[in-house]
Amino acid sequence: MIKTVKKLFEKYKGFNFCAGLIITAVIFLIAVTGIFYTPYPSTAMNAALKNAAPGAAHIFGCDNYGRDIFSRVMEGIKNTFFISFFTVLLGSVAGMILGAVCGYYGGKLDNILMRLNDALFAFPSILLAMVIIALVGPGAFNVVLALGIAFIPSFARIVRAEFKKQASLDYIAGAKLMGAGDIRIMFVHILPNILPVLISSVMIGFNNAVLAEAGLSFLGIGVQPPEASLGRMLSEAQAFLFTAPWYAVFTGLSIALMVLGFALLSEGISEKK
Amino acid sequence: MKILSVKDLTIEFHDHKLPERAVEKVSFDMDEGEVLGLVGESGSGKSLTAMAIAGLLPRKRLNAFGEIIFEGKDMLKIPRSELRELQGDELSVIFQEPMTALNPTMRIGKQVEEPLFIHHKELSDAERKAKALDWLEKVELHDPERVYHSYPHELSGGMRQRVMIASAMVSDPKLLIADEPTTALDVTVQAQIIKLLLRLNLKQKVAILFISHDLSLVKQISENVIVMQNGSIVEKGKTKDVFDSPVEEYTKKLVAAIPEVRF
Repeated sequence: MIKTVKKLFEKYKGFNFCAGLIITAVIFLIAVTGIFYTPYPSTAMNAALKNAAPGAAHIFGCDNYGRDIFSRVMEGIKNTFFISFFTVLLGSVAGMILGAVCGYYGGKLDNILMRLNDALFAFPSILLAMVIIALVGPGAFNVVLALGIAFIPSFARIVRAEFKKQASLDYIAGAKLMGAGDIRIMFVHILPNILPVLISSVMIGFNNAVLAEAGLSFLGIGVQPPEASLGRMLSEAQAFLFTAPWYAVFTGLSIALMVLGFALLSEGISEKK
Repeated sequence: MKILSVKDLTIEFHDHKLPERAVEKVSFDMDEGEVLGLVGESGSGKSLTAMAIAGLLPRKRLNAFGEIIFEGKDMLKIPRSELRELQGDELSVIFQEPMTALNPTMRIGKQVEEPLFIHHKELSDAERKAKALDWLEKVELHDPERVYHSYPHELSGGMRQRVMIASAMVSDPKLLIADEPTTALDVTVQAQIIKLLLRLNLKQKVAILFISHDLSLVKQISENVIVMQNGSIVEKGKTKDVFDSPVEEYTKKLVAAIPEVRF
């Protein structure tokens, strides 16, 4: 494990990669810690500390109910991180299978599925996600489902183009002539060759998912209270922008850092290629 | 013993309104351990014939008639699953472009083992590796262990073609189709590869269908030769007879055009 990390560092020495890795690692650590530990219970209210300024006890201050903002940010990062993670997982795996089948087989099936894909693509993904949420109702699981479905078309399109390109190369004819089956050719022979493209699109996809999740929660249809969510906190903070600016600043900053970390990381990886 | 028998093979394209015939009524037989040369200019249908034998024709886009009997099965009619069992096991192909015919992200060892992995699941990992290393040595690659762990971009064109041959031969096929295997290589490497193929033919008793537009190569390697033009067979027979006393006008012209180069 340490050896592979060392190797990675040697391969990508650039500033972007290192900065991105550190920021993402910190965010990840906060997200994981947020599962089982926060300095204060994230829903504990305290009327005496209403909109309290940052101090030694509450380093990010308190919100309008007297809840510790640091604890809520931790929980928000945890929620956003895992929702985004599963969104991208769902979107990329489904998109990959769809794209692989379309790109590899081509023909009528490809035409039909890709026209459907284009139709989905025509809607902004946040709008599509809102439609799905309107159908299934809000909640963390439903957000993953809605955003995941909204993310399928972009992944499917990228993977399909790559598969089409690879499927016409000689080594695939060679693999066929060795008697390899279609599934084996798709996932053992072609997939490793499109991995660089897939990884960078997953990283960009993760950023979009973070922003989309925050957007949905900001509109009040994402994660439901009293669960903390960065988007929702930001929308609550609006009302106290002048009386308790730290509320909005720290919440907004953590969203920005999350996106920045992954953007730097993907930039750093593609730099080396 | 006959291993391959092609009867009245006709291949039609359906890209346009009228079907176009790319191969017309081609018939020939191959014996066990025979080296058969298939020559013709580009567009003569020789590669298409080879692809039909290998079972690599896109069945949707072209129509193929006639019979290709290999191992008692008609390659044109059996379902793909049965075809797959023969491909890579009883029948192998080497391509002309060793630069693109290997998977760039797979280690050489894994690619040589691939036919064994697909067709001989009973072998253990160690047995597979031993066989692959053995074959890398048989195709005269120095330091097989290092080549085994290399990626294609770390090898030269000649080495890659040897790897292709190793991977084609690893499951002891009865028929090896070599589709212009030396076209992309320089002349000295060409000669080495030809010698290697001849040695394999002698030692392993594998029959080789050698496709080329290079008559001087075919003259050296094959016992029998088929000359194709515009999708049909113009002349066939013992290489010596065909080249020394060609009957057809087209063959005469081809033979007259051979440059006098000797290895």
